[in-house]
Amino acid sequence: MTSSKLSDHVRSEAKVNTSLKDITSEINSLSVDSSRSNGPEKPPNSIRNSSLVDVVKLTLTDLFNFAKLKAHQQTSSLLELIQFYIYHFILLFVFVLITIYKSIQTSYRKFFIKFYTLTYYHNKSPQLIRDDVNKLSKIPKVLSCILDLKDKDDEMGGIDGLINQISELSAWTISAGIPYLQIYEYNGKLLGNKQYLSKLNHSISKNLSEYFGSSILPNYSIKIPHQNFIIYGPNNNSNSEIDLTISLISRVDGKPTIVELTKTMSELAISNELSIRDISIELVDEELIELVGPEPDLLIYFGPNLDLQDFPPWHIRLTEIYWEPDNYDVNYSILIRALQKYSNCTVNVGK
Amino acid sequence: MQGAFDNRDTFSINSIFNVLSNFPLLTYVISFLQDFIIGVLNTGPIPKHIAIIMDGNRRYAKQNNLALKDGHTAGAEALVNVLDVCFRTGVEHVTIYAFSIENFNRSKEEVDTLFSLLRDKLKMISEHEDSYARFNKIRVRIIGNKSYIPTDILQDLESIEETTKNATSKKTLNVCFPYTTRDEIVYSIKSIINKVNNGEIESKDKIDSKIIADNFYFGPDTPPLDILIRTSGHTRLSDFLLWQSNYNSTIEFVDTLWPEFKFFAMTSILLKWSYYRTLQLEALSIMGAKNEDDLDIKINLLKQLPKHPPYASVNSRQVRLG
Repeated sequence: MTSSKLSDHVRSEAKVNTSLKDITSEINSLSVDSSRSNGPEKPPNSIRNSSLVDVVKLTLTDLFNFAKLKAHQQTSSLLELIQFYIYHFILLFVFVLITIYKSIQTSYRKFFIKFYTLTYYHNKSPQLIRDDVNKLSKIPKVLSCILDLKDKDDEMGGIDGLINQISELSAWTISAGIPYLQIYEYNGKLLGNKQYLSKLNHSISKNLSEYFGSSILPNYSIKIPHQNFIIYGPNNNSNSEIDLTISLISRVDGKPTIVELTKTMSELAISNELSIRDISIELVDEELIELVGPEPDLLIYFGPNLDLQDFPPWHIRLTEIYWEPDNYDVNYSILIRALQKYSNCTVNVGK
Repeated sequence: MQGAFDNRDTFSINSIFNVLSNFPLLTYVISFLQDFIIGVLNTGPIPKHIAIIMDGNRRYAKQNNLALKDGHTAGAEALVNVLDVCFRTGVEHVTIYAFSIENFNRSKEEVDTLFSLLRDKLKMISEHEDSYARFNKIRVRIIGNKSYIPTDILQDLESIEETTKNATSKKTLNVCFPYTTRDEIVYSIKSIINKVNNGEIESKDKIDSKIIADNFYFGPDTPPLDILIRTSGHTRLSDFLLWQSNYNSTIEFVDTLWPEFKFFAMTSILLKWSYYRTLQLEALSIMGAKNEDDLDIKINLLKQLPKHPPYASVNSRQVRLG
């Protein structure tokens, strides 16, 4: 008996497969986070790393980048080359100055954001939130928020962090009296998975019970327009009114949906069910409201630099956009400041 | 406290510069300084496509007790300056929001003023061999739903487009007149369906977001939008370039009124963009990509590591570790 036969015997005694079995696909289908092993995908504009050391390092490497020199050498004289280098050196020096300026500005802004966070605090009391909102002359009907899915290891990061942020936002918007909350997350990680959705539903109702007490919860529903799902909150009965609709959208609801609509329309046009003359802004608008949702009145981006991240283009026509520079968190104070700004602005179409 | 939060305002150097430019002797120094700044900016990354919403002419007129018409004229002058900065820095496409379809809601008098002002200004920069656009070889394009334009003005505009069509440089001025993105998307959908019917596009499955963008009024040869500037402090896009501006482009909301938007305001935006783009390109090159299109290429870091030291193991025989 050879050694391998012995080991087979041991394995069959222990009721284990004797041959090596590939269970990669099985494992992958089980583990929820496997597709996210590389971390969430980020839109390219969000890459804005700017520590001073990095910029100085970059400056030096860039200055001695001889590939650039060579490319330039073919087209110009020595004098121009020297001039190019002096100018480029000045530019890089200015970049270093900007970095120093930005870091001072960032700490200054962070201080103010901290200050506002302390000044405006909701204390988990709907009454306080409503009082804050009632000082304003008008509020939006449809509020849209762009949230960043952060790295799992960060504070409020990963899917759990996102779920937390959405539940807090929904409690604030219900208290403020805004009936429609749209949440945009670039990757749409939350939408594809029913486990996450049930987690979200629990989290929202738990959070609402902290604000409103557990006896009578406000009525809410979660909508996923792309898959045409709807989830009702725990105490929903058919005759009660919905206090808040939470709609979850992602990048597939933007340009890809318009592409799908075009495909469908061209199919109908080929089979002569739709005449090209009938295609109008009103028709497309109607279809896109049905497929994605209404046009938001106010869009808040909870990130440091304004970046629309492929937000549905049709829907931001007259939307008021708000973001707080150098802010990374979902804060009540940001929401209140956004609402204050909204109440001060006037929309006059075309005028 | 509001000011502390605003990154939408331009540098205060701007106002100092405005005061200085009133001294006659300094104009020579200033033009030298401008050339120098543009030369410096030229050595960094430069945006290819800038779009501007020129807002604030009317408020400027009101603040300075001018007639409405003079406000618009001041705006047109500011535009020529800004265009000059952009094209000298090396920007290829500048798109301006001259007139929205919604602007037809304004009084007829003002609409007529705007139309004739636009026609006169465009004529002025393209009429003669040595006028601005033709001297600098700039192509002027009218972007938008031309069916709204009265025929006499349309004829003039088309002749301007015609005379500048064969410009040898890549510099293009896109005048959006009368334009809204929603109208543009519908226009694109219609022309795609026409093309599917004609067989120009083989099947409906070929339709993607690139084909939609190619069928816009802008046409397929327009570079992606890098910066969108809106002056006078409104943080709304007002139906302008919604499709183009919502991915990988910088949106700048500036508090200055458009006629006061001058050299320094423009160059500080260009500098800021250049700064962030340099950082972004650097971050991408660390990730192993030359630009954002190459991000899909994944490099095998393990295989690139230097060779490890030899093994010293208690497993004397060759043991199957796999």
